[in-house]
Amino acid sequence: MLRIALRAHRTGFLVGAALSFVTMFVETEGFAAAAGQTPAERAAFGAQMQALAPQVAYLIPLPIHPETLAGYVQWRGFGFVYIITCFWALMAATGAIRNEEERGLIEQWLASTVGRLRLMAARSAAFTLAAAGVVVVTALGAFAGAAAADGSLDLGAVLEVSLALLGVTVASFGAGLLAAQLVTTRRGASALGGVVLLALFFLDSLSRVNSGLEGWSRISPFHLYNRTTAVAPGGVFDLPATIALFAAAAIMTVLSAYAFAVRDIGASLVRRRRVTAAAVRTPSANPLLRLPVFSALYEQRWVLLSWAIGTMLLAAFILSLARSTADLIRSNETLRGYLQAGFGTDPNLVLLALFWFGFAAFILAAYAISQVARWAADDAEGRLEMTIAQPVSRARVVLERGFTLAAASSVIAGLGSVVVAAGAPAQDIHPETGRLLVATALLVPLALAFGGLGAAIIARWPRLAVPVLSLVAVAGYLIQQVGPLFRWPSWALDLSVFTLYGTPLTTGVFWTGFWALAAVIVVGFGIGLAAMHYRDVAS
Amino acid sequence: MTGALRTEGLTKDYGQGRGLFDLDLEVAAGEVFGYLGPNGAGKTTTIRLLMDMIRPTRGRAEVFGVDCQAKPVEVKRLVGYMPGELPQFGGLRGREVVSYVAGLRGGVDSGRIVALAERLDLDLGRRFREYSRGNKQKLGLVLALMHEPRLLILDEPTSGLDPLNQQEFHLMVHEARDRGATIFLSSHVLSEVEQICQRVAIIRQGRLVQIARLDELHHIRYHHVEVDFAGQVPADAVRAAAGVEQVSVQGQRLTCVVRGSFSPLLTALERGEVINMVSHEPSLEETFLAYYRDDSAGMLSEAARAS
Repeated sequence: MLRIALRAHRTGFLVGAALSFVTMFVETEGFAAAAGQTPAERAAFGAQMQALAPQVAYLIPLPIHPETLAGYVQWRGFGFVYIITCFWALMAATGAIRNEEERGLIEQWLASTVGRLRLMAARSAAFTLAAAGVVVVTALGAFAGAAAADGSLDLGAVLEVSLALLGVTVASFGAGLLAAQLVTTRRGASALGGVVLLALFFLDSLSRVNSGLEGWSRISPFHLYNRTTAVAPGGVFDLPATIALFAAAAIMTVLSAYAFAVRDIGASLVRRRRVTAAAVRTPSANPLLRLPVFSALYEQRWVLLSWAIGTMLLAAFILSLARSTADLIRSNETLRGYLQAGFGTDPNLVLLALFWFGFAAFILAAYAISQVARWAADDAEGRLEMTIAQPVSRARVVLERGFTLAAASSVIAGLGSVVVAAGAPAQDIHPETGRLLVATALLVPLALAFGGLGAAIIARWPRLAVPVLSLVAVAGYLIQQVGPLFRWPSWALDLSVFTLYGTPLTTGVFWTGFWALAAVIVVGFGIGLAAMHYRDVAS
Repeated sequence: MTGALRTEGLTKDYGQGRGLFDLDLEVAAGEVFGYLGPNGAGKTTTIRLLMDMIRPTRGRAEVFGVDCQAKPVEVKRLVGYMPGELPQFGGLRGREVVSYVAGLRGGVDSGRIVALAERLDLDLGRRFREYSRGNKQKLGLVLALMHEPRLLILDEPTSGLDPLNQQEFHLMVHEARDRGATIFLSSHVLSEVEQICQRVAIIRQGRLVQIARLDELHHIRYHHVEVDFAGQVPADAVRAAAGVEQVSVQGQRLTCVVRGSFSPLLTALERGEVINMVSHEPSLEETFLAYYRDDSAGMLSEAARAS
């Protein structure tokens, strides 16, 4: 059973390890480029980072000696990489329970000699082993990056932080397991677990800017993790906090195992009483179900609503930080020069262009990837077969997917920009309406480019589409975010797919990028269309 | 008879001997045609080729004269299809699934949907994920039948249905046939095929091995015969008789298996004094099992297979 459970975590392990390694390596290796070579340069850099850090405290913890390699790695490396491992843990936990229940695998295991508690123990043990592997690879990424930067890190300190990283990862897995007991679908479990973990994440991060939340933040596993800063000079290894993480993981796993043992397979732990109602024989009168594109949008209306609300909240949050960050940049000659050289003269607007539209591009890419996953599932679960069993051409299926993605992306991007447009004047930011509209509209081709790539990949390798696109998105985002800071050459920055979006809010439409995106859309969906025409469809 | 469905050398070669090979089949309009074979024989592959889900390695298929690969959309206007396993519609309710599929097809009469749901006692108000296997199967039948297609292609349609609903399904098939529809259904439930089909094709390891009317199929049937003699048992004469196999003698009783005509056996029996004779005809199910049994078991001669 353990071997089977380990095998189930194989893909997640490979993707998680690759992302974590790359993240740690890039952050560590880039230290010298970012901080400079001389002590004076590094001291200046450290001072700048100390000043900048509070503005991004909602994402990563405050730095300790960022002018040193070790301090920088603790701050930018270990202070960020846990987001990747915890996200993976959540998806692995909900997949281990709900996805396998939906596929009937749990029933199969239980129909054999495997008991429920043994199954839960095997899945938890297998994930812990896989997570330990990812943590080791993450640490290796830090050491490899340090070696490339002609520096070194203390082995004992890295081990201590790695232990905390493993603790927060398995605690997130435990939270995911618990969420999976309360709802009946994987999507629902991921959403519930995601909301809980996101709330705990913001409880920790907001406690850094709001002292009133400090007491509450102790219940956040992310707070417990961030208490260990052993890699940084003068940092500490908080053993009780780390033990608390493992204890929380154990408690949540035991509670999940209990819930799993007492509930019905395929049902939630908490069952709603079914209301007895007369049987319905009539088809739905909802006209949207009979219209192409609208039927797809209707079916994913709650998911779309969640994305839209999440995007709007994030837009409001980032907007609220824009002014204070801009004030900081105004007071810092180096940062001001860097931003003005690259993006324009108005720091407020530059911040909005970089922070919000940079982030919005990533959100739209993530949404497009979720849609590609849906397309792959349609194929695997027989939905595509059912669709083309009707008098519907295969080409229409591909085109409808594209149009649905375009429509949904427009809704998400549009609502985000409505919040920005409404809130910007209060932050003394006055974007031109036309440019705001263009910047918003250009997010749609970016999402469609990911959709086009996905359409091309799922035609041949449906299981690979999501991991490949995720790598493209995360790598592109990281390149765009850290590249300029590390003064990477322009060719390296151009490797990011997000470069094609440009900064239309401040510097106008980047036409070369636009046409490149258009080419990716046409070629991607073209390959998707051709492949759909010729390939076999069989679930 | 106008051809409702025709295949010529239809082949889907997956390699290593897997797939469907050189299928020549013709189903007349208004016919109820059974497509039999054990698991993995190629029944679903055939159906998917007809529905243009998968593309043939060679050969062609047509429905009412329309090429399935060249004009698949036109073909699907004529066809009602029920897959072996209904896809996941997740959180959609049954009524939403029906509306969605009806929207894809267009021109579906809501009254017909209501009538089908009533007959099958299907609650369309429940979410698809809450449906039992049987209810999913009922929903599949509603989706296949709601537009009153000229050709019904059903992949193991009664799998998961309780006996009452199986009977209802059989009635619905008869009604569809009465209004002129053609039904092509795959199954490995022979009793069902016996009840509703006029002709059957038997497929094995991707190759068509028999196509016949149900009564013609009885040629491959056999009879267990037990004969009690008053005196000497003419065992050698019986063994020499054409179509008689597996002869065994215990005391005054002779048992054997007879294929085809009884005349050679009756002629041989004249050599002895018969005091009792019982002939037992196995069900088509047993025949079918025997048909697929390893040749070494000696249940099926090449001659019988050729018939």
